[in-house]
Amino acid sequence: MQDLWYSYDDEVTALRGINLEIEDGDYVAVIGQNGSGKTTLVKHFNGLLKPTQGRVLVRGNNGSLRDTVDLTVGQLAQTVGYVFQNPDHQIFCDTTRGELAFGPRNLGLSEAEVKRRVEEALTRFDLEEYADWPPAILGYGLRRKIGVAAVYSMQPRLFILDEPTAGLDHRSSMELVELIGEMHRHGHTIILVTHDMKLVAEFSRKSLVLRDGQVLVYDDTRNVFKHSEVLRDTQIEPPQITVLAKRMAPYGMPDDVLSVEEFYSAYCERF
Amino acid sequence: MSFSFDLYVQRRSWLHVVDPRVKLAFVFLGTLLMLTFKNLFIMLLSLVITHLIIFSAGVPGHKVKWVWKTMLLINVLIPTLWVIFYPEGPALSAAEGPTVLFQFWFLKVTALSVVRGVSLALRLDAIAFICFTWLFTTDQASLVRSLVKLGLPFEWGLVLAIGLRYIPTFYGLYTVVSEAQQARALDLTRGNFFTRVRSHLPILVAMIISALRTSEQLARAMESRTLGLPGVKRTCLRDIRFRLADYVYTALLFALFSILLTLRFQFGLGTHPLYLF
Repeated sequence: MQDLWYSYDDEVTALRGINLEIEDGDYVAVIGQNGSGKTTLVKHFNGLLKPTQGRVLVRGNNGSLRDTVDLTVGQLAQTVGYVFQNPDHQIFCDTTRGELAFGPRNLGLSEAEVKRRVEEALTRFDLEEYADWPPAILGYGLRRKIGVAAVYSMQPRLFILDEPTAGLDHRSSMELVELIGEMHRHGHTIILVTHDMKLVAEFSRKSLVLRDGQVLVYDDTRNVFKHSEVLRDTQIEPPQITVLAKRMAPYGMPDDVLSVEEFYSAYCERF
Repeated sequence: MSFSFDLYVQRRSWLHVVDPRVKLAFVFLGTLLMLTFKNLFIMLLSLVITHLIIFSAGVPGHKVKWVWKTMLLINVLIPTLWVIFYPEGPALSAAEGPTVLFQFWFLKVTALSVVRGVSLALRLDAIAFICFTWLFTTDQASLVRSLVKLGLPFEWGLVLAIGLRYIPTFYGLYTVVSEAQQARALDLTRGNFFTRVRSHLPILVAMIISALRTSEQLARAMESRTLGLPGVKRTCLRDIRFRLADYVYTALLFALFSILLTLRFQFGLGTHPLYLF
């Protein structure tokens, strides 16, 4: 992204001069208050929004850099997958299998390839049991999973997930996060838009903090959570375990703890 | 898109404090007048007046722009279809025969059909802006209260208010669902007219499912707040009452309506699409 500016109806400026590079295989969390420009920013990756000023370049599957202005959302969908927050905004088929086949078919793949991808997505997301069920009548957690699987079946290199754990119980949340982690381990680039700081701390490698449409900090998550003054400015509360470790820093605890497991091993080492 | 689709604009302008029943009378009488007149300039004048009223009430420009954007298709379709299917005469002047602007094969474009088509489209714009004057400046609660005061059962008033309230919400839902399906490589621009209409099916079905879910949740939320409890007469925390200004506005409204109606039927004002008399 080079000097990206975006205004809604030329009235509300949502993004102000963003310069950013996301590398292949990264796991980035985009965080910030409501209205800070998170969703506006990520909608530029798959061309749903085009810059008012500046450029967004996406590396295609053939390795060449392409300006999103020259491509349609459909063309960019081969490289960039976008999972919307509400699964009901995309579910329309009478079977889960059909829902998963919709994207690959739109890409013009052969029926054999579509079938292969659908079966793979069903297995990976543990949805075989519901393959012939109408997805609209399934529970929210399952619909959310189908939403992600429906984008996964298109095999994009970059995955954008908008608030993936919102409205999910702990178990469904962890299950989904584990699947996202697995996609990352298989080489997919992951971008999460989230308010869930525990999720950010434990899983994302890098964090991008936005405020009023500007990048406040873009760094390793461990370093971002060290910037307590930046987090205070954006009203972001680090996970409780990070706060506790910081408070215990005078007693020898490291001040960049991100998970309970890290805290436990650091505690056992020192006390 | 983090954009608010609420029609009501919260302000404390002169129009916001006008009794909603007066505004309802304005909508009713204004619409009747617009349906009575056929003249292009009267439609334009009505649009200028409603715009002045809307802006004086502090309604921001982007709301007005949104109305025009919504009306764009109608504004293109009506004059085009009228010109194609209703070539008409006589001439704009006293000369004999229709003034033909353009003729090719079966298509004959007459000056009068162009004017009539444009004035018809403007008539719908004028009616839309009269209605939006009311909706931009009247909150849902006042809207329902005014209808109930006029004798409508409360539940009916609520149904109407919810219906109006959800038009822009569903427009917003269409945008989001369309974005979600395009993100799965759905191309809405490819192919001929019928292919493009068919490619809207995934959007339509997802919207219907979402709409059903919303209506079910809304019904449950209202029921859980005891709406429709039998044998209970609803009370009202804030009642609406006519002020002196409201009586003056009502009198002015009816006087203007009577004058314009007399001019129309006694003196033939605005019966021709181009000439006032």
